[in-house]
Amino acid sequence: MNIGLDVGSTTAKVLHMEEGEIVFSKVVPSHRWIELIDDGLDDINIVSTGYFRKKVPHFAAITEITTASLGAKYHDPDAQVIVDIGGQDTKVIDLSNNTFVINDKCSAGTGAFLELAAHYFDIPVGSLGELHSKATKGAQINNTCGVFAISEMISQLVGGFSMEEVIYGLHQAFALRIAQMVPPADTVMLIGGTVQNTGIVDAVSNVLDSKIEVPGTPQLVNALGAALYRERLNDGR
Amino acid sequence: MKETVGITALVPPELIYACGKRPMDVNNVVPESSLSPGSKLCAWTAIWRDMILNGGLDIDSLVVVAGGDCHNALVDGQKVELSGMATHYFFYPFDRDTDYLRSQLEKLTRFLGGIKDERMFSLISDLKLKGRALDELRVNDRARASDVFSALISFSDMAGDPDVFEKMLNSVPETDVEYSSRVALIGVPPIYPDFHETAESFGLHVVYDELPYEFLRLGGSDLDSLARSYRDYSFAGPIKNRVELIKNELQRRRVDGVIHYTQFACHHTLEDEIFREHLDYPILTVQGDLPRPSPEQLKLRLEAFAEMMEVMP
Ligand code: SF4
Repeated sequence: MNIGLDVGSTTAKVLHMEEGEIVFSKVVPSHRWIELIDDGLDDINIVSTGYFRKKVPHFAAITEITTASLGAKYHDPDAQVIVDIGGQDTKVIDLSNNTFVINDKCSAGTGAFLELAAHYFDIPVGSLGELHSKATKGAQINNTCGVFAISEMISQLVGGFSMEEVIYGLHQAFALRIAQMVPPADTVMLIGGTVQNTGIVDAVSNVLDSKIEVPGTPQLVNALGAALYRERLNDGR
Repeated sequence: MKETVGITALVPPELIYACGKRPMDVNNVVPESSLSPGSKLCAWTAIWRDMILNGGLDIDSLVVVAGGDCHNALVDGQKVELSGMATHYFFYPFDRDTDYLRSQLEKLTRFLGGIKDERMFSLISDLKLKGRALDELRVNDRARASDVFSALISFSDMAGDPDVFEKMLNSVPETDVEYSSRVALIGVPPIYPDFHETAESFGLHVVYDELPYEFLRLGGSDLDSLARSYRDYSFAGPIKNRVELIKNELQRRRVDGVIHYTQFACHHTLEDEIFREHLDYPILTVQGDLPRPSPEQLKLRLEAFAEMMEVMP
């Protein structure tokens, strides 16, 4: 059994592989990561990743840059550019040039930014995508700094835009911020829990000229990459 | 006691010693400083400026390297001058004009009171040869990059005492180095004092430190030869010459990847795109601001870069 354990800033994920097939996966909030390995799994099978990779049991701990690269290649062997939108940071990996950039200085373009907006509207972050799809136009939001974007959001609401239109505009601002980090490419793969928000995928597709790919379970790509790395170690690669 | 001359970037140290004074590169105290500067763009200049203004740096005069190098230093240097410090401005020619640089060296010599001990030229030259030998040692995996970097970065002022410095150079341990990838460090030097140790902890062997290597300029035995040698100081000249020089070193040192260190609010950051376009290697760009032990963000990037070169070559 090859196990990938991804303990990030908001959620923890585990994924089991057997003979190259995914046989099990589970996601819990980060602080409950222990539930993912409580049935007596042997550390020797585990490759960990994510912000807390060195704090959880593992045979090897590797960064999300490597797991995202391996996981993305599993879904699409021709993947060129990966955008991993995490809870606290966003990473853009350019596989064709072996380079990456990480935005971890501010909340702009990270899941935390959307959490803040959802919190303001007092709605679950999971409903942002659906509300986005109801808007036919967007309110202009120029600021991507979380704090200033909220005050801009409020002034657009006061100015007569609906909540749906403001959320649409927010996703657009988010996508523009991400786009600054993305190099030109035919295809861009979006991964990470935040990508489950279909509003984000729509906004990024509108902003980038590239074809956008989203794997079936975008939040599990890093855990998958970690399990694949464990498999590589078995193979002595 | 010899008078101490603060320098803000590369000023021929052999000339300062030959004029009977001791240079002190004011940047060398910055990485270990815990001072929070008042107004700041780049922390390097802001910290040495505040340290001088607060009397925390024991210098008698200051030579500010302005032309062809750093405008932040030019402004912060003037703040120091306005506080009453004897200050001289040294300009490198962007077009590498040897006559211009010679005239700058003449002015500097006058500011320093004239040449008094010509033997210092050959003495410093011998030390630089030792520096080059140390540099080769790490290229050949026979010395730790962190030890070699500490020695090379001090070649801007020879630690204020060539005799003591020579002992320092002789004490750099020779040892076999194990690593996963060979990297070059280009750009201004990192403000984090443990940068090289941190890189080593992730299996990255730094085989080229761009700026400190520039300090090892040979062939300065009088003002004419100094002018010929220092006109090629790459940081003060056109970027295309720098790119060529870096390319040769990357090849000669067989590097697997390049780390471009940039400093917050430094114009050299704008050079990143040029390096990315012209250097055909995996490149990691990192940025620092205030001096402190390497932060987690830097560690993540170095670790990921090391993995990238090892796992997905
Ligand atoms: S890092 Fe840049 S701005 Fe700062 S002193 Fe050096 S050249 Fe000047």
